[in-house]
Amino acid sequence: MSLTAAFVAELQEALGAEHVITEPEQLRVYECDGLTGHRAVPELVVLPHSTEEVQAVVRACHRERVPFVARGAGTGLSGGATPVAGGVVVSLARMNRILEVDLESRRVVVEPGVANLDVTRAVAEEGFFYAPDPSSQQVCTIGGNVAENSGGAHCLKYGFTVHHVTGLTLVLPDGEVVELGGKALDPDGPDLLGVVVGSEGTLGIVTRITLRVVRSPEAVRTLLAGFETTDAAGAAVSGIIAAGILPSAIEMMDRLTIEAAELAVAPGYPEGAGAVLLVELDGVAAQVEEDAAEVERICRECGAFEFRAAADEASRALLWKGRKSAFAAMGRVATDYYVQDGVVPRTRLPEVLRRIEELSRSHGLRVGNVFHAGDGNLHPLVLYDAEQGETERARELAEAILDACLDAGGSLTGEHGVGMDKACSMPRMFSERDLEVFGRLRRAFDPEGLCNPGKVIPTPRLCGEVPGPYRVHALERIGVAERL
Amino acid sequence: MPSVSSLREASETLAAAHVAGRRCRIGEDLTTDGLDGILEHEAGDLTCTVEAGIRLSVLNAALARHGQRLSLDPPGDATIGAVLARNLSGPLRHRFGAPRDLVLGVTLVLADGTIASAGGKVVKNVAGYDLGRLVCGSQGRLALIARVSFRLHPLPKAARTLLVETDEVPAAVAALLRSQLQPSALDVLHPGRVAVLLEGSERAVDAQLAAARGLVGGDETGPEVWEESRMRQGGARGRVRFAPGDLADVLAGLSEAVVRPSAGVAYTLEELPSGSEPQSADAADAVQRLSERIRLAFDPNGVLAP
Repeated sequence: MSLTAAFVAELQEALGAEHVITEPEQLRVYECDGLTGHRAVPELVVLPHSTEEVQAVVRACHRERVPFVARGAGTGLSGGATPVAGGVVVSLARMNRILEVDLESRRVVVEPGVANLDVTRAVAEEGFFYAPDPSSQQVCTIGGNVAENSGGAHCLKYGFTVHHVTGLTLVLPDGEVVELGGKALDPDGPDLLGVVVGSEGTLGIVTRITLRVVRSPEAVRTLLAGFETTDAAGAAVSGIIAAGILPSAIEMMDRLTIEAAELAVAPGYPEGAGAVLLVELDGVAAQVEEDAAEVERICRECGAFEFRAAADEASRALLWKGRKSAFAAMGRVATDYYVQDGVVPRTRLPEVLRRIEELSRSHGLRVGNVFHAGDGNLHPLVLYDAEQGETERARELAEAILDACLDAGGSLTGEHGVGMDKACSMPRMFSERDLEVFGRLRRAFDPEGLCNPGKVIPTPRLCGEVPGPYRVHALERIGVAERL
Repeated sequence: MPSVSSLREASETLAAAHVAGRRCRIGEDLTTDGLDGILEHEAGDLTCTVEAGIRLSVLNAALARHGQRLSLDPPGDATIGAVLARNLSGPLRHRFGAPRDLVLGVTLVLADGTIASAGGKVVKNVAGYDLGRLVCGSQGRLALIARVSFRLHPLPKAARTLLVETDEVPAAVAALLRSQLQPSALDVLHPGRVAVLLEGSERAVDAQLAAARGLVGGDETGPEVWEESRMRQGGARGRVRFAPGDLADVLAGLSEAVVRPSAGVAYTLEELPSGSEPQSADAADAVQRLSERIRLAFDPNGVLAP
């Protein structure tokens, strides 16, 4: 498909010629997101500056039946922003203004291109923060967070993006603009806001977002415990939850990941540990103190041979250092790796970890485990060497791990999204009827199928194709965006 | 009134109405009273999956035996399906949110009998469209809610209530919300009273109560004030939604109400138009048209229409 000159001229007229990209070299920049194995060069990239300009673009696309894909910072890991060949990419990069800070209402109104961390920066001095903290938060945008319903290390206590969005301006796939919610909660009728958040850019383009910000906690305590085995660390996680404690984060790393982190950033984790548990508590000081003592007791009871606590910012950062570098550190122990994103019920963690170990042995490939243990969100890293022809085996292993998660009653994805990457895996979690109803919802928003087509719901055309191997994304290489 | 007691029965009943072009209103022509089991409660995961006909009180009594609760406390004792469909919440909403914030997954029966699930039973999951949230507030117009998975919370070891009587309600509320206290509930019993629920370990609750008193004064009171709040909410005839920063203006315009300041919702004794946020008629129409398209996609024959 080729776009007509008249179509391009119309968008140039609406947005200004300098905000419509047609040069092949420049278009190539947009050929993929963080899932670099999927690539497609768009026909056109537009950079609108307002809701009205987005509306003009979408109306033109709708009239000419041109598919379009919205894009934020391109840090997504499921190919949610992979362009459609012959289509238009709508980059929201220029819509990066914080429109209003209303701390009386504890709301901040932003455009979609605002970086996640900038929301917290805008309110930090007043003692507030924006809770969802995906690890790419320095660069990933609020628009992308809304599309993916992003979480982060602290979502165990604070929830996901959907819990922190109270209003959206949405340009529907036919160009109509709707306002969903606002500063107040509970609009009448079905929760449209709740279904648009996390819809991976398939139900329209969000152009303005009202966010809830949260008062900073009185106390924060970060704890680190070293265990002989992941089983022992897993038992400690269960013990903490059973004690009625709700930490803001519980993260686990296994032996291979700890080794890689030591090689990369030398965080000085307990020597010889088969598993490290990182627990963060926040809230009212009296409660945090009491919970911290209880967490230490539980960890030691479960066999922790070393226990550290940090209360100030600098020593907390040190404890987090190894965890935050875990993905990038894998480059020290393997040439290639494939990161999986699956979820299991927390209580099934030990058995699923054992199953992953079996699968690792039977496939003859190493797997590093680093994950959000508190909510059962696993990120197994399958290590392989593409030059040794191990790519296909790595993919099979990653798929088998996903099956193990689903067998345990979990989910295909906890935070990276379905996108292109897992659209073809959806039938492993959802029945044909479930998917058919998803399709009904999508067609109600987008009858012509123009808005981010080929994502989330499997199509026969799409699912015949095999994606390429994972390559380190340019942003990650420079250490800005890492995968969590 | 036919009460269905299985997914299949619900599917067959609705499919028959769909084919015959007959209406079958949920809660009126069809109820889920027989669909009231707890299918799974994984205490270690703080999750449960229930059939939608179960009453909130029955569910919470069962969960309490394991030291847990579903943190929803609307007035009355609705079924779980009604709690979702009518988007019901109570004082605990201050900290724990509305039904949409606690739903992990649903199984729906559509008007044509199609049984479909969305979400899952794990606390973290972004696969597929979130139909569990979509049906919150849907008033039974989109589908029959048959099964629901929830995120649960541990029962607090201790709970104490502070009651502040004051002529300066907005100032007291602002001071509490500006503080680093973390109440589980904060209601304004307008006019003149603010109730604060503090939950947690005994020592932490004591510390919070002392800190709150230091900030806004008041005296400890028993839990019956929360019953009063729920009663008044249940008996309300109007609802006002507002940006939380507009609390003072909203209170000035009301004679008697229960107000949840952080959510920006007031349940009023007066009959008032709901939805006070300024929105142009055009914009409201656009949302209406979108809702209608979704309703038609789910229920083309209008089986579930009121």
